[in-house]
Amino acid sequence: MKKKLLITVTAILMMVFTACSSGKDDSTSNKGGENAGSGETTLLIAADQDPSGLDPHTTTAHSSHRIMGKIYEGLLDLDEDRNFVGQLAEDWEQVDDTTYTFKLRENVIFHNGREMTADDVKYSFERILDPDTGAISRSYFDVVEEINVLDTYEIEFKLSKPYAPFLSYVASGANAAIIPEEEVEEHGNLDQVAVGTGPFKFEEMVPDTHVKLKKNEDYYIEGKPVIEELHYLTIVDESSRLAAIRTGEVHLTTVTPDSVSLVENDDNLNVITYDALEYSYLGFNVTRDKLDDQKVREAISLAIDRQEIIDTVMNGEAELSGPVPPSFGDWPIDVADLDMYKPDVEKAKSLLSEAGAEGLELEMGVPSTEALLVSSAQIIEQQLANVGIQAKIVQLEWGEYIDAWNENKYDMLVGLNGPGRDPDRSLGFFFSSEGSANVWGYESEEYDALIEDGLVESDEDKRKEIYDEAQEYIINDAPNLFIYMPKSYIVVRENISDYNPVPHNTEDFLDITID
Amino acid sequence: MGAFFRRLRKDKVGLIGFIGVMLIVFIGLFAPLIATHSPTEMFNEYRLQSPNSEFWLGTDDLGRDIFSRLIYGARVSLMVGIIAVGIGAGIGLACGLIAGFFQGRIDNIIMRIMDVLFAFPDLLLALAIVAILGPNLKNTMIAIGIVFIPVFTRLVRSSVITVKEMDYISNAQSIGASNKRVIVKHILPNILAPFLVQTTLALSSAILAEASLSFLGLGIQPPDPSWGSMLNSSRRFMELAPWTAIFPAIFIVFTILCFNLLGDSLRDLLDPRLRKK
Amino acid sequence: MYVLSYIVRRVASIIPVLIGISILIFLIMQVIPGDIVSILLGTEATPELKEQMREEFGYNLPLYQQYWNWISGVVVGDFGHSLRTGAAVLPEILSRFTLTLELTIFASVIAWIISIPLGVIAAVRRNKGSDIGIRVISLLGVSVPNFALATIIILVLSLQFNYFPPVGYVGLFEDPIRNLERLLIPALVLGASMAGSIMRMTRSSVLEVLEQDYIRTARAKGIREHFVIYRHAFRNALIPVLTVIGMQIGFLLGGTVIVEQIFSLPGLGQYVLTGIMQRDIPVVQGSILFIASMFVFVNLLVDILYGFLNPRISYD
Repeated sequence: MKKKLLITVTAILMMVFTACSSGKDDSTSNKGGENAGSGETTLLIAADQDPSGLDPHTTTAHSSHRIMGKIYEGLLDLDEDRNFVGQLAEDWEQVDDTTYTFKLRENVIFHNGREMTADDVKYSFERILDPDTGAISRSYFDVVEEINVLDTYEIEFKLSKPYAPFLSYVASGANAAIIPEEEVEEHGNLDQVAVGTGPFKFEEMVPDTHVKLKKNEDYYIEGKPVIEELHYLTIVDESSRLAAIRTGEVHLTTVTPDSVSLVENDDNLNVITYDALEYSYLGFNVTRDKLDDQKVREAISLAIDRQEIIDTVMNGEAELSGPVPPSFGDWPIDVADLDMYKPDVEKAKSLLSEAGAEGLELEMGVPSTEALLVSSAQIIEQQLANVGIQAKIVQLEWGEYIDAWNENKYDMLVGLNGPGRDPDRSLGFFFSSEGSANVWGYESEEYDALIEDGLVESDEDKRKEIYDEAQEYIINDAPNLFIYMPKSYIVVRENISDYNPVPHNTEDFLDITID
Repeated sequence: MGAFFRRLRKDKVGLIGFIGVMLIVFIGLFAPLIATHSPTEMFNEYRLQSPNSEFWLGTDDLGRDIFSRLIYGARVSLMVGIIAVGIGAGIGLACGLIAGFFQGRIDNIIMRIMDVLFAFPDLLLALAIVAILGPNLKNTMIAIGIVFIPVFTRLVRSSVITVKEMDYISNAQSIGASNKRVIVKHILPNILAPFLVQTTLALSSAILAEASLSFLGLGIQPPDPSWGSMLNSSRRFMELAPWTAIFPAIFIVFTILCFNLLGDSLRDLLDPRLRKK
Repeated sequence: MYVLSYIVRRVASIIPVLIGISILIFLIMQVIPGDIVSILLGTEATPELKEQMREEFGYNLPLYQQYWNWISGVVVGDFGHSLRTGAAVLPEILSRFTLTLELTIFASVIAWIISIPLGVIAAVRRNKGSDIGIRVISLLGVSVPNFALATIIILVLSLQFNYFPPVGYVGLFEDPIRNLERLLIPALVLGASMAGSIMRMTRSSVLEVLEQDYIRTARAKGIREHFVIYRHAFRNALIPVLTVIGMQIGFLLGGTVIVEQIFSLPGLGQYVLTGIMQRDIPVVQGSILFIASMFVFVNLLVDILYGFLNPRISYD
């Protein structure tokens, strides 16, 4: 009896092991899909996080946006140089200070088979503006007063006042997506269904496992997308993602800077690098004693050697950044030569003694999930010790970190920010006294006035001058210290071609092919 | 006690465990004398150096000396172990004694509370406690300690119940010994063996638990070193710089091994039925 | 008859424990700093948007009412919906539970195969070289933290053997081979950490049984040694081992978090962890209550089984 059991168990184990060795071939042949002969047609992507919800108007998570961006489209998009290009709109015009018209592309078919018209555009924006929806972009479009359907393919927006960022926000991807009314009516919201006009159709989502998208056969650009299917496989752990791409289980994955040197010399893999659309910062609670003094903040800025952080944490592969990172088109100013970015321990010390802030003790919060930020915080701690400031690092679990950020609980916070779609977002949103992400308690009338001007100035060149001044102002007044703009790394298998990520659109898969 | 050490000397495995534990304690106590560098000083130009004559066990991603961090880390790991187990064993002992000695209603209440704590998944309970109290070393120790309470309570209670049935206890009670006297003089010495064994085992689980919590991003605050947090942050470099992972792992494994070997031997040595051999 | 009333009493004693667990987890979720509204909205949060979401989630109700709304649903099998994805919680728990359970059983089987024979050998050859060797090796499994062992295995397999367990999860009944292949490595990692304690328990209880009078008698009668061990010692020693196994299965149900995370397995542990990190209250409350109930039931089952196996236990 016992012996039989033993034999059975051994047999099962052997089966399993044989399965392992043969499993490799199985999975590669699976990937080929229908056209196994002429190369693979399903692109497999390792995603580091599961999407949280897929309603384009109410979801913020990056893990959701990378998927929603394939399914949904807006009226406008940005090209490589951040110029506006039509997506669902073929043409557009600013009629006067407060009126914009859009001419829609014809024969655009929703994934449910119905043609998209101006009525859908009107409905979509009304849904965004309806407070009950809880749309993220509602605040972007506060100024919209009237939406008029001029004919089947033409629509007009009337604003209550001149508003320079308007077109940028129309081009804000899924958050300003055009959606079909009947799907919302039928399902109540778009959490469980996803019907847009984009190049890929939603097929299946299994939580913590995968999201599968299929090519939209009716897509309005002839012959695009090239691949048939797009699968996002959730692999949370970095070392697992790395192993998966090395063994060919996936075609594409993002990796952290640390892993780049490990795959660079692998002939089967290519590393694609681009500047990330974000920057790291050290934020001050400017309502706290001593930190309310610009001199103390300046001293800290001079105490911190940003290049040392870049060299140590990012392997030297990052650029100095201001509040608008260098990846943000023409808008950023060059920060490298600014005095605030030149480490000067002696001056920092004398500023501190002028402010009567020697021997300052500060608590510095950092999200425990972000290894690179935790490392940065440790270097900052050492650098501040050089000027006699004692910084105590407090690692915060993500939910707690968000809470600390919202409620300004610590003296300093280390974090990452994105510049958003428009420079007003990068500057007004985070630092004007009314800005809803200004959690720092920072107030400056002078700065607020600049932000006001920037909002209504429709001349691009003049607008740029205003924001140049705003950037310099905020860097010198230093409610936050802006540190570096990281690079992002995508590793692809060598058989992937025609894929070129740009900072604001890292996953354009219209042309991508698998050989 | 003397007899115990004499027996321990004959049990080679237990002796190895005992010496190992003493070694770790020694390292922890005299860390500043043993370490060759400051555990937090960053030598920027020497990031991720492999072991060499200057940095005996290499450097980590921020250019800190791994050897010195491990030496100081012994303090953290021991402290986590001792304090967490102290909390768990102390409260567990008290609850177990009360529940086992008095039985009845109070026993029922205590044991149901312990059932609730016990049924709660360990790691998740610790995670929740750390999330509430805030992630730092002190709270991590408290959290791990709370997780241990039901284990000790159950163990002590069942030993107390067994011991209580023995004749000499009822004799003592019948000649008018106070409850306190009975507990301290008669019951405690008799439940010591399983309690000690459990303590050594709990010490090693505590060290592991600290490592697991580090993996989930909770635990000791940087830049202070703990073996768990070192091992966790080295995961990113396991391939590039294996020494950043290997040495913390060796320290953890060695310590746990010693505690367990000692615990096993204690069990054999203190168990009266095995003692005869 | 005694057995029956014992079982009834044991089952009844579960109810206050479950109520206690539900209250504890409810309170824990209330006191944890951070809430899902802020986490979901991130930098996009405006006061109106936050207020609106809180209202939608029922956060503005008094505590006792929030608890009541939740628990009265749970009693009739409605665990509510995830605040993050809107998906119903109970079906999600059940589908993930099958994976976690499968992983647990797979890991346990591996652990038994390794540890029980080794435990017997170690006991029989007490304090000889092989005993010491076995004890040290089995302790290695316990003392290497799961995440380190998992990472090492992934590295070695992918670099040396160009092997990675298939991505994505398929059910046992859809594609058994692929499913088992997917779970093999994670189960090995978990099994390695379980094996140590089972080995130790086996060793010490075999040792204990070997000292018993009837074994001595058997030996004295000149019965062959391996027959003694197999026929008498081993079977009797199994009883306490069973308890440890029961406890470990219970622990594993909630203890697979790290392995699930590293191997991207959509199990219950991963679900709770994401839930805690995102403060997704219905998800955390529902799954913890579920895991804890399972734990309680498994232990109840072991208690009852134990009684059947060991007639010396009395049911009073």
